[in-house]
Amino acid sequence: MYEFLHYQIRDVMTVDPIAISPKAKLREAEELFETHDFNGVPVVDSQRYLLGMLTKFDLLNAFRFDAHTLVPHYDDIMEQTVETVMTREPITVAPQLPLSRLLQKLVEIRTKSLPVVEEGQRLVGIISRQDVLKALRRATTKREVLTHEDPAP
Amino acid sequence: MTTLLYTHSACQEHDTGFGHPECAARLTAILNALGTAPFAALERRDPPEATREQLTRIHSQSHVEHVLDRIPKQKYYAIDGDTVVSPRSGEAALRAAGAACAAVDAVLRQEANNAFCAIRPPGHHAEPAQAMGFCLFNNAAIGAAHARAVHGLERVAVIDFDVHHGNGTQAAFEHDPGYLYVSTHQAYIYPGTGRREERGVGNIVNVPLLAESGSADLRHAWHQDIEPALRRFQPKLILISAGFDAHYLDPLAELNFNEDDYEWLTREILAVAADCCEGRVVSVLEGGYNLSALAASVAIHVKALMEAPRAAQRALVKDILERRKAKRNENDS
Repeated sequence: MYEFLHYQIRDVMTVDPIAISPKAKLREAEELFETHDFNGVPVVDSQRYLLGMLTKFDLLNAFRFDAHTLVPHYDDIMEQTVETVMTREPITVAPQLPLSRLLQKLVEIRTKSLPVVEEGQRLVGIISRQDVLKALRRATTKREVLTHEDPAP
Repeated sequence: MTTLLYTHSACQEHDTGFGHPECAARLTAILNALGTAPFAALERRDPPEATREQLTRIHSQSHVEHVLDRIPKQKYYAIDGDTVVSPRSGEAALRAAGAACAAVDAVLRQEANNAFCAIRPPGHHAEPAQAMGFCLFNNAAIGAAHARAVHGLERVAVIDFDVHHGNGTQAAFEHDPGYLYVSTHQAYIYPGTGRREERGVGNIVNVPLLAESGSADLRHAWHQDIEPALRRFQPKLILISAGFDAHYLDPLAELNFNEDDYEWLTREILAVAADCCEGRVVSVLEGGYNLSALAASVAIHVKALMEAPRAAQRALVKDILERRKAKRNENDS
Protein backbone atom coordinates (compact mmCIF):
# COMPACT_ATOMS: atom_id res chain seq x y z
CA MET A 1 0.00 0.00 0.00
CA TYR A 2 2.95 2.35 0.63
CA GLU A 3 3.75 2.21 -3.08
CA PHE A 4 0.38 3.78 -3.82
CA LEU A 5 1.40 6.89 -1.86
CA HIS A 6 4.08 7.56 -4.46
CA TYR A 7 1.63 7.61 -7.38
CA GLN A 8 0.54 10.88 -8.89
CA ILE A 9 -2.35 11.45 -11.28
CA ARG A 10 0.01 11.79 -14.25
CA ASP A 11 1.29 8.24 -13.65
CA VAL A 12 -2.08 6.61 -14.35
CA MET A 13 -4.32 9.12 -16.15
CA THR A 14 -5.44 8.75 -19.77
CA VAL A 15 -3.15 11.15 -21.62
CA ASP A 16 -4.57 13.51 -24.28
CA PRO A 17 -8.07 12.07 -24.04
CA ILE A 18 -10.79 12.35 -26.66
CA ALA A 19 -12.53 15.68 -26.18
CA ILE A 20 -15.42 17.45 -27.86
CA SER A 21 -16.04 20.95 -29.22
CA PRO A 22 -18.62 23.21 -27.57
CA LYS A 23 -20.28 23.58 -30.97
CA ALA A 24 -20.70 19.84 -31.49
CA LYS A 25 -24.23 18.47 -31.40
CA LEU A 26 -25.44 16.40 -28.49
CA ARG A 27 -25.96 13.61 -31.03
CA GLU A 28 -22.18 13.40 -31.54
CA ALA A 29 -21.61 13.36 -27.81
CA GLU A 30 -24.12 10.56 -27.43
CA GLU A 31 -22.27 8.55 -30.08
CA LEU A 32 -19.02 9.06 -28.17
CA PHE A 33 -20.59 7.76 -24.99
CA GLU A 34 -22.01 4.84 -26.92
CA THR A 35 -18.75 3.75 -28.55
CA HIS A 36 -16.25 4.48 -25.75
CA ASP A 37 -18.19 3.86 -22.55
CA PHE A 38 -17.13 7.27 -21.20
CA ASN A 39 -18.73 8.71 -18.09
CA GLY A 40 -18.04 12.17 -19.32
CA VAL A 41 -16.10 13.91 -22.05
CA PRO A 42 -14.07 17.13 -21.70
CA VAL A 43 -15.24 20.11 -23.75
CA VAL A 44 -12.29 22.06 -25.18
CA ASP A 45 -11.56 24.90 -27.59
CA SER A 46 -9.30 24.51 -30.62
CA GLN A 47 -6.18 24.96 -28.43
CA ARG A 48 -7.44 22.26 -26.07
CA TYR A 49 -8.18 24.65 -23.24
CA LEU A 50 -10.89 23.21 -21.04
CA LEU A 51 -14.30 24.91 -21.30
CA GLY A 52 -16.41 22.35 -19.46
CA MET A 53 -17.33 18.71 -19.02
CA LEU A 54 -20.20 16.91 -20.63
CA THR A 55 -21.40 13.94 -18.60
CA LYS A 56 -24.21 11.48 -19.12
CA PHE A 57 -26.09 13.36 -16.44
CA ASP A 58 -25.76 16.58 -18.46
CA LEU A 59 -27.30 14.75 -21.42
CA LEU A 60 -30.17 13.45 -19.31
CA ASN A 61 -30.57 16.92 -17.87
CA ALA A 62 -31.51 18.17 -21.35
CA PHE A 63 -34.55 15.88 -21.23
CA ARG A 64 -35.97 17.07 -17.94
CA PHE A 65 -39.43 18.58 -17.87
CA ASP A 66 -39.41 22.33 -18.15
CA ALA A 67 -41.85 25.20 -18.64
CA HIS A 68 -41.51 25.32 -22.41
CA THR A 69 -42.33 21.82 -23.65
CA LEU A 70 -44.89 19.31 -22.54
CA VAL A 71 -42.96 16.35 -23.92
CA PRO A 72 -39.20 16.59 -24.60
CA HIS A 73 -38.43 15.51 -28.18
CA TYR A 74 -35.37 13.38 -28.73
CA ASP A 75 -34.36 14.56 -32.20
CA ASP A 76 -34.79 18.25 -31.37
CA ILE A 77 -32.74 17.95 -28.22
CA MET A 78 -30.01 15.98 -29.92
CA GLU A 79 -29.58 18.88 -32.33
CA GLN A 80 -28.63 21.23 -29.46
CA THR A 81 -24.96 22.08 -29.04
CA VAL A 82 -22.79 20.71 -26.29
CA GLU A 83 -22.21 24.15 -24.78
CA THR A 84 -25.90 24.54 -23.98
CA VAL A 85 -25.93 21.67 -21.48
CA MET A 86 -22.31 21.09 -20.46
CA THR A 87 -21.09 21.60 -16.88
CA ARG A 88 -19.20 24.87 -16.87
CA GLU A 89 -16.28 25.47 -14.52
CA PRO A 90 -15.94 21.76 -13.73
CA ILE A 91 -13.78 20.56 -10.85
CA THR A 92 -10.32 19.93 -12.23
CA VAL A 93 -7.17 18.36 -10.83
CA ALA A 94 -3.47 18.92 -11.44
CA PRO A 95 -1.27 16.13 -12.89
CA GLN A 96 1.06 16.17 -9.87
CA LEU A 97 -1.72 15.63 -7.29
CA PRO A 98 -1.03 12.44 -5.29
CA LEU A 99 -3.45 9.67 -6.24
CA SER A 100 -4.21 9.15 -2.56
CA ARG A 101 -5.66 12.65 -2.45
CA LEU A 102 -7.59 12.25 -5.70
CA LEU A 103 -9.20 9.14 -4.23
CA GLN A 104 -10.57 11.15 -1.27
CA LYS A 105 -11.85 13.81 -3.65
CA LEU A 106 -13.65 11.38 -5.98
CA VAL A 107 -15.44 9.74 -3.09
CA GLU A 108 -16.24 13.06 -1.46
CA ILE A 109 -17.87 14.58 -4.54
CA ARG A 110 -19.03 11.23 -5.99
CA THR A 111 -17.75 12.02 -9.44
CA LYS A 112 -16.72 9.24 -11.79
CA SER A 113 -13.95 11.02 -13.65
CA LEU A 114 -12.20 14.38 -13.56
CA PRO A 115 -10.36 16.39 -16.21
CA VAL A 116 -6.64 16.88 -15.56
CA VAL A 117 -5.32 20.33 -16.48
CA GLU A 118 -2.03 22.15 -16.42
CA GLU A 119 -1.77 25.71 -15.24
CA GLY A 120 -3.85 27.86 -17.53
CA GLN A 121 -6.52 25.13 -17.83
CA ARG A 122 -4.96 23.27 -20.78
CA LEU A 123 -6.37 19.74 -20.85
CA VAL A 124 -3.67 17.09 -20.44
CA GLY A 125 -5.64 14.06 -19.32
CA ILE A 126 -8.62 12.49 -17.68
CA ILE A 127 -8.66 10.35 -14.57
CA SER A 128 -11.41 7.94 -13.55
CA ARG A 129 -12.42 5.70 -10.67
CA GLN A 130 -11.27 2.75 -12.71
CA ASP A 131 -7.77 4.22 -13.10
CA VAL A 132 -7.51 4.58 -9.31
CA LEU A 133 -8.75 1.07 -8.65
CA LYS A 134 -6.23 -0.29 -11.13
CA ALA A 135 -3.42 1.69 -9.51
CA LEU A 136 -4.40 0.39 -6.08
CA ARG A 137 -4.17 -3.16 -7.33
CA ARG A 138 -0.90 -2.55 -9.15
CA ALA A 139 0.67 -0.83 -6.15
CA THR A 140 -0.18 -3.64 -3.78
CA THR A 141 0.48 -6.72 -5.88
CA LYS A 142 3.97 -5.74 -6.99
CA ARG A 143 5.82 -6.66 -3.86
CA GLU A 144 4.92 -7.41 -0.29
CA VAL A 145 6.36 -4.63 1.76
CA LEU A 146 6.77 -5.73 5.30
CA THR A 147 8.03 -8.85 6.91
CA HIS A 148 6.80 -9.11 10.44
CA GLU A 149 9.65 -10.47 12.47
CA ASP A 150 9.73 -11.50 16.06
CA PRO A 151 11.61 -9.08 18.25
CA ALA A 152 15.25 -9.74 18.77
CA PRO A 153 15.87 -11.58 22.01
CA MET B 1 24.82 34.00 16.93
CA THR B 2 23.43 31.81 14.27
CA THR B 3 21.05 28.96 13.57
CA LEU B 4 22.13 25.45 14.53
CA LEU B 5 21.35 22.35 12.52
CA TYR B 6 21.22 19.12 14.51
CA THR B 7 21.25 15.91 12.51
CA HIS B 8 22.89 12.49 12.76
CA SER B 9 23.73 9.73 10.30
CA ALA B 10 21.89 7.22 12.51
CA CYS B 11 18.66 9.06 11.66
CA GLN B 12 19.25 8.20 8.00
CA GLU B 13 19.91 4.56 8.86
CA HIS B 14 16.53 4.14 10.57
CA ASP B 15 15.06 1.79 7.95
CA THR B 16 11.27 1.45 7.93
CA GLY B 17 11.00 -1.02 5.05
CA PHE B 18 10.42 -0.86 1.33
CA GLY B 19 8.21 1.99 0.17
CA HIS B 20 7.44 3.31 3.65
CA PRO B 21 6.54 7.01 3.44
CA GLU B 22 8.58 7.87 6.55
CA CYS B 23 11.83 6.97 4.83
CA ALA B 24 15.50 7.90 4.97
CA ALA B 25 15.19 9.70 1.63
CA ARG B 26 13.25 12.40 3.48
CA LEU B 27 16.35 13.41 5.41
CA THR B 28 18.54 13.06 2.34
CA ALA B 29 16.27 15.47 0.46
CA ILE B 30 16.30 17.91 3.38
CA LEU B 31 20.06 17.77 3.90
CA ASN B 32 20.70 18.21 0.18
CA ALA B 33 18.57 21.36 0.24
CA LEU B 34 20.31 22.62 3.39
CA GLY B 35 23.70 21.87 1.82
CA THR B 36 23.32 24.62 -0.78
CA ALA B 37 24.96 28.05 -0.66
CA PRO B 38 22.15 29.99 1.05
CA PHE B 39 22.61 27.75 4.08
CA ALA B 40 26.38 28.07 4.41
CA ALA B 41 25.98 29.95 7.69
CA LEU B 42 24.15 27.06 9.35
CA GLU B 43 26.27 25.50 12.07
CA ARG B 44 25.87 21.73 11.92
CA ARG B 45 26.18 19.69 15.10
CA ASP B 46 25.95 15.97 15.88
CA PRO B 47 23.52 15.33 18.72
CA PRO B 48 24.35 12.94 21.56
CA GLU B 49 22.00 10.11 22.46
CA ALA B 50 19.27 11.13 24.87
CA THR B 51 19.84 9.86 28.40
CA ARG B 52 17.34 7.68 30.26
CA GLU B 53 16.75 10.64 32.54
CA GLN B 54 15.80 12.86 29.61
CA LEU B 55 13.48 10.24 28.09
CA THR B 56 11.71 9.37 31.33
CA ARG B 57 10.68 12.95 31.98
CA ILE B 58 8.01 12.20 29.35
CA HIS B 59 7.94 8.43 28.93
CA SER B 60 7.53 5.63 31.42
CA GLN B 61 10.63 3.58 32.15
CA SER B 62 8.80 0.54 30.78
CA HIS B 63 8.01 2.32 27.49
CA VAL B 64 11.67 3.17 26.97
CA GLU B 65 12.71 -0.42 27.68
CA HIS B 66 9.87 -1.79 25.54
CA VAL B 67 10.91 0.24 22.50
CA LEU B 68 14.64 -0.44 22.84
CA ASP B 69 14.08 -4.17 23.51
CA ARG B 70 12.15 -4.49 20.27
CA ILE B 71 14.92 -3.25 18.01
CA PRO B 72 15.75 -6.36 15.96
CA LYS B 73 19.31 -7.50 15.21
CA GLN B 74 18.29 -7.91 11.59
CA LYS B 75 15.33 -7.19 9.32
CA TYR B 76 12.28 -5.44 10.71
CA TYR B 77 9.90 -5.45 13.62
CA ALA B 78 6.49 -3.78 13.34
CA ILE B 79 5.44 -2.16 16.62
CA ASP B 80 2.13 -1.48 14.91
CA GLY B 81 1.03 -1.69 11.29
CA ASP B 82 2.99 1.39 10.26
CA THR B 83 5.52 1.89 13.04
CA VAL B 84 8.47 -0.21 11.98
CA VAL B 85 11.90 -0.58 13.56
CA SER B 86 15.10 -2.11 12.27
CA PRO B 87 18.66 -2.52 13.66
CA ARG B 88 19.61 1.19 13.58
CA SER B 89 16.26 2.52 14.81
CA GLY B 90 17.22 2.51 18.48
CA GLU B 91 20.18 4.81 18.03
CA ALA B 92 18.21 6.99 15.61
CA ALA B 93 15.42 7.45 18.17
CA LEU B 94 17.92 8.24 20.93
CA ARG B 95 19.78 10.74 18.73
CA ALA B 96 16.50 12.33 17.67
CA ALA B 97 15.42 12.93 21.26
CA GLY B 98 19.00 13.86 22.15
CA ALA B 99 18.97 16.47 19.37
CA ALA B 100 15.94 18.19 20.85
CA CYS B 101 17.65 18.35 24.27
CA ALA B 102 21.00 19.50 22.88
CA ALA B 103 19.31 22.17 20.79
CA VAL B 104 17.43 23.41 23.86
CA ASP B 105 20.71 23.56 25.81
CA ALA B 106 22.49 25.48 23.05
CA VAL B 107 19.71 28.01 22.55
CA LEU B 108 19.28 28.61 26.28
CA ARG B 109 23.04 29.03 26.69
CA GLN B 110 22.81 31.64 23.92
CA GLU B 111 25.14 29.74 21.63
CA ALA B 112 22.59 30.40 18.90
CA ASN B 113 19.38 32.26 18.19
CA ASN B 114 17.51 29.14 17.33
CA ALA B 115 17.95 25.60 16.04
CA PHE B 116 16.46 23.10 13.62
CA CYS B 117 16.63 19.37 14.30
CA ALA B 118 16.61 17.39 11.03
CA ILE B 119 15.85 14.09 12.71
CA ARG B 120 13.78 10.95 12.39
CA PRO B 121 11.93 9.00 13.62
CA PRO B 122 9.43 11.79 14.26
CA GLY B 123 7.94 12.13 17.73
CA HIS B 124 4.61 13.83 18.23
CA HIS B 125 2.41 10.70 18.14
CA ALA B 126 4.52 8.94 20.78
CA GLU B 127 2.56 8.94 24.01
CA PRO B 128 4.11 8.54 27.47
CA ALA B 129 3.60 4.77 27.28
CA GLN B 130 2.87 4.07 23.61
CA ALA B 131 4.87 4.19 20.38
CA MET B 132 2.64 4.78 17.38
CA GLY B 133 2.24 6.59 14.06
CA PHE B 134 5.92 6.24 12.97
CA CYS B 135 6.98 7.72 16.37
CA LEU B 136 9.00 6.06 19.15
CA PHE B 137 9.98 8.85 21.56
CA ASN B 138 8.35 12.27 21.66
CA ASN B 139 11.30 14.45 20.69
CA ALA B 140 9.61 17.85 21.07
CA ALA B 141 8.02 16.98 24.42
CA ILE B 142 11.31 15.61 25.70
CA GLY B 143 13.05 18.83 24.66
CA ALA B 144 10.38 20.90 26.40
CA ALA B 145 10.65 18.85 29.61
CA HIS B 146 14.43 19.18 29.47
CA ALA B 147 14.15 22.97 29.26
CA ARG B 148 11.99 23.08 32.35
CA ALA B 149 13.90 20.53 34.41
CA VAL B 150 17.48 21.58 33.64
CA HIS B 151 17.14 25.26 32.81
CA GLY B 152 14.33 25.99 35.25
CA LEU B 153 12.03 27.55 32.69
CA GLU B 154 8.56 28.09 34.11
CA ARG B 155 6.64 27.99 30.86
CA VAL B 156 7.45 26.19 27.61
CA ALA B 157 5.20 26.14 24.52
CA VAL B 158 5.10 23.62 21.70
CA ILE B 159 3.44 24.69 18.47
CA ASP B 160 2.67 21.80 16.13
CA PHE B 161 1.78 22.49 12.49
CA ASP B 162 2.10 18.90 11.27
CA VAL B 163 -1.09 17.89 9.42
CA HIS B 164 -1.76 15.19 12.02
CA HIS B 165 -2.63 15.95 15.63
CA GLY B 166 0.18 15.42 18.13
CA ASN B 167 -1.73 13.13 20.46
CA GLY B 168 1.50 12.16 22.21
CA THR B 169 2.50 15.71 23.06
CA GLN B 170 -1.01 16.50 24.21
CA ALA B 171 -1.08 13.41 26.43
CA ALA B 172 2.28 14.36 27.95
CA PHE B 173 1.27 17.96 28.70
CA GLU B 174 -2.46 17.98 29.38
CA HIS B 175 -2.24 17.95 33.18
CA ASP B 176 0.64 20.42 33.54
CA PRO B 177 -0.02 24.17 33.20
CA GLY B 178 3.70 24.79 32.77
CA TYR B 179 3.32 23.61 29.17
CA LEU B 180 1.24 25.00 26.35
CA TYR B 181 0.47 22.77 23.35
CA VAL B 182 -1.01 24.46 20.28
CA SER B 183 -1.82 22.43 17.18
CA THR B 184 -3.26 22.93 13.72
CA HIS B 185 -4.14 19.69 11.96
CA GLN B 186 -6.63 18.17 9.56
CA ALA B 187 -9.82 17.15 11.34
CA TYR B 188 -11.09 13.53 11.33
CA ILE B 189 -7.87 11.89 10.14
CA TYR B 190 -5.18 10.00 12.09
CA PRO B 191 -4.90 9.78 15.09
CA GLY B 192 -8.48 10.96 15.68
CA THR B 193 -7.66 13.23 18.61
CA GLY B 194 -7.31 17.02 18.59
CA ARG B 195 -10.88 18.20 18.84
CA ARG B 196 -11.36 21.77 20.04
CA GLU B 197 -13.02 20.52 23.22
CA GLU B 198 -9.78 18.81 24.28
CA ARG B 199 -8.35 21.64 26.37
CA GLY B 200 -6.28 19.94 29.08
CA VAL B 201 -6.04 22.26 32.08
CA GLY B 202 -6.60 25.20 29.75
CA ASN B 203 -3.14 24.59 28.27
CA ILE B 204 -4.11 22.69 25.12
CA VAL B 205 -5.31 24.64 22.09
CA ASN B 206 -6.48 22.48 19.18
CA VAL B 207 -7.42 24.08 15.88
CA PRO B 208 -8.69 21.31 13.59
CA LEU B 209 -8.98 22.32 9.93
CA LEU B 210 -11.31 20.73 7.37
CA ALA B 211 -9.95 18.94 4.29
CA GLU B 212 -8.84 21.34 1.53
CA SER B 213 -8.16 24.17 4.01
CA GLY B 214 -5.31 26.36 2.85
CA SER B 215 -3.43 29.63 3.33
CA ALA B 216 -6.42 31.73 4.36
CA ASP B 217 -7.57 29.17 6.91
CA LEU B 218 -4.08 28.94 8.37
CA ARG B 219 -3.92 32.72 8.77
CA HIS B 220 -7.35 32.78 10.35
CA ALA B 221 -6.33 30.04 12.81
CA TRP B 222 -3.15 31.92 13.68
CA HIS B 223 -4.83 35.26 14.34
CA GLN B 224 -7.93 33.82 15.99
CA ASP B 225 -6.48 31.10 18.20
CA ILE B 226 -2.78 30.40 18.04
CA GLU B 227 -1.12 33.78 18.43
CA PRO B 228 -3.44 34.95 21.24
CA ALA B 229 -2.86 31.68 23.12
CA LEU B 230 0.91 31.97 22.74
CA ARG B 231 0.98 35.61 23.87
CA ARG B 232 -1.30 34.94 26.85
CA PHE B 233 0.97 32.10 27.93
CA GLN B 234 4.21 34.12 27.63
CA PRO B 235 6.49 31.12 27.02
CA LYS B 236 10.16 31.29 27.96
CA LEU B 237 10.97 28.98 25.03
CA ILE B 238 9.03 27.89 21.96
CA LEU B 239 9.48 24.48 20.38
CA ILE B 240 8.04 23.78 16.96
CA SER B 241 6.79 20.34 15.97
CA ALA B 242 7.59 21.06 12.35
CA GLY B 243 5.71 18.66 10.11
CA PHE B 244 5.32 19.66 6.49
CA ASP B 245 2.58 17.24 5.45
CA ALA B 246 -0.10 19.94 5.33
CA HIS B 247 1.50 20.80 1.96
CA TYR B 248 -0.83 20.65 -1.04
CA LEU B 249 1.21 17.87 -2.67
CA ASP B 250 1.52 15.64 0.37
CA PRO B 251 0.04 12.16 -0.20
CA LEU B 252 -1.05 11.50 3.39
CA ALA B 253 -3.58 14.25 3.96
CA GLU B 254 -5.68 16.91 2.29
CA LEU B 255 -4.66 20.36 3.46
CA ASN B 256 -3.31 22.88 0.98
CA PHE B 257 -0.47 24.80 2.60
CA ASN B 258 2.39 25.92 0.34
CA GLU B 259 6.01 26.94 0.91
CA ASP B 260 5.06 30.59 1.37
CA ASP B 261 2.66 29.61 4.14
CA TYR B 262 5.46 27.86 6.00
CA GLU B 263 7.67 30.91 5.64
CA TRP B 264 4.91 33.21 6.85
CA LEU B 265 4.06 30.98 9.81
CA THR B 266 7.71 30.62 10.81
CA ARG B 267 8.19 34.39 10.79
CA GLU B 268 5.03 34.86 12.86
CA ILE B 269 6.25 32.34 15.44
CA LEU B 270 9.65 34.06 15.52
CA ALA B 271 7.98 37.43 16.10
CA VAL B 272 6.11 36.05 19.10
CA ALA B 273 9.32 34.44 20.35
CA ALA B 274 11.15 37.76 19.98
CA ASP B 275 8.53 39.45 22.16
CA CYS B 276 8.15 36.67 24.76
CA CYS B 277 11.45 34.85 25.07
CA GLU B 278 14.29 36.68 23.35
CA GLY B 279 13.65 34.77 20.15
CA ARG B 280 14.41 31.34 21.59
CA VAL B 281 13.02 28.75 19.22
CA VAL B 282 13.87 25.08 18.72
CA SER B 283 12.25 23.45 15.70
CA VAL B 284 12.01 19.67 15.45
CA LEU B 285 11.12 17.79 12.26
CA GLU B 286 7.94 15.70 12.30
CA GLY B 287 6.15 14.57 9.09
CA GLY B 288 6.16 15.56 5.42
CA TYR B 289 6.07 12.82 2.76
CA ASN B 290 6.39 14.43 -0.66
CA LEU B 291 10.16 14.62 -0.91
CA SER B 292 10.49 17.72 -3.06
CA ALA B 293 7.72 19.58 -1.23
CA LEU B 294 9.32 18.59 2.07
CA ALA B 295 12.79 19.76 1.04
CA ALA B 296 11.50 23.08 -0.30
CA SER B 297 9.33 23.69 2.77
CA VAL B 298 12.09 22.85 5.24
CA ALA B 299 14.49 25.08 3.31
CA ILE B 300 12.19 28.08 3.54
CA HIS B 301 11.46 27.33 7.20
CA VAL B 302 15.16 27.16 8.06
CA LYS B 303 15.91 30.28 6.00
CA ALA B 304 13.34 32.15 8.06
CA LEU B 305 14.96 30.83 11.25
CA MET B 306 18.35 32.06 10.01
CA GLU B 307 16.94 35.48 9.26
CA ALA B 308 15.31 35.84 12.67
CA PRO B 309 16.08 39.24 14.05
CA ARG B 310 18.75 38.81 16.67
CA ALA B 311 17.38 39.19 20.13
CA ALA B 312 20.10 41.64 21.10
CA GLN B 313 19.50 43.75 18.02
CA ARG B 314 15.80 43.82 18.65
CA ALA B 315 16.32 44.84 22.25
CA LEU B 316 18.62 47.63 21.11
CA VAL B 317 16.17 48.93 18.53
CA LYS B 318 13.34 48.73 21.03
CA ASP B 319 15.44 50.66 23.53
CA ILE B 320 16.29 53.39 21.01
CA LEU B 321 12.67 53.73 19.95
CA GLU B 322 11.49 54.00 23.52
CA ARG B 323 14.07 56.64 24.35
CA ARG B 324 13.05 58.64 21.29
CA LYS B 325 9.44 58.35 22.28
CA ALA B 326 10.20 59.46 25.83
CA LYS B 327 12.16 62.42 24.51
CA ARG B 328 9.33 63.35 22.16
CA ASN B 329 6.88 63.22 25.04
CA GLU B 330 9.24 65.41 27.07
CA ASN B 331 9.45 67.95 24.25
CA ASP B 332 5.70 67.90 23.76
CA SER B 333 4.93 68.68 27.40
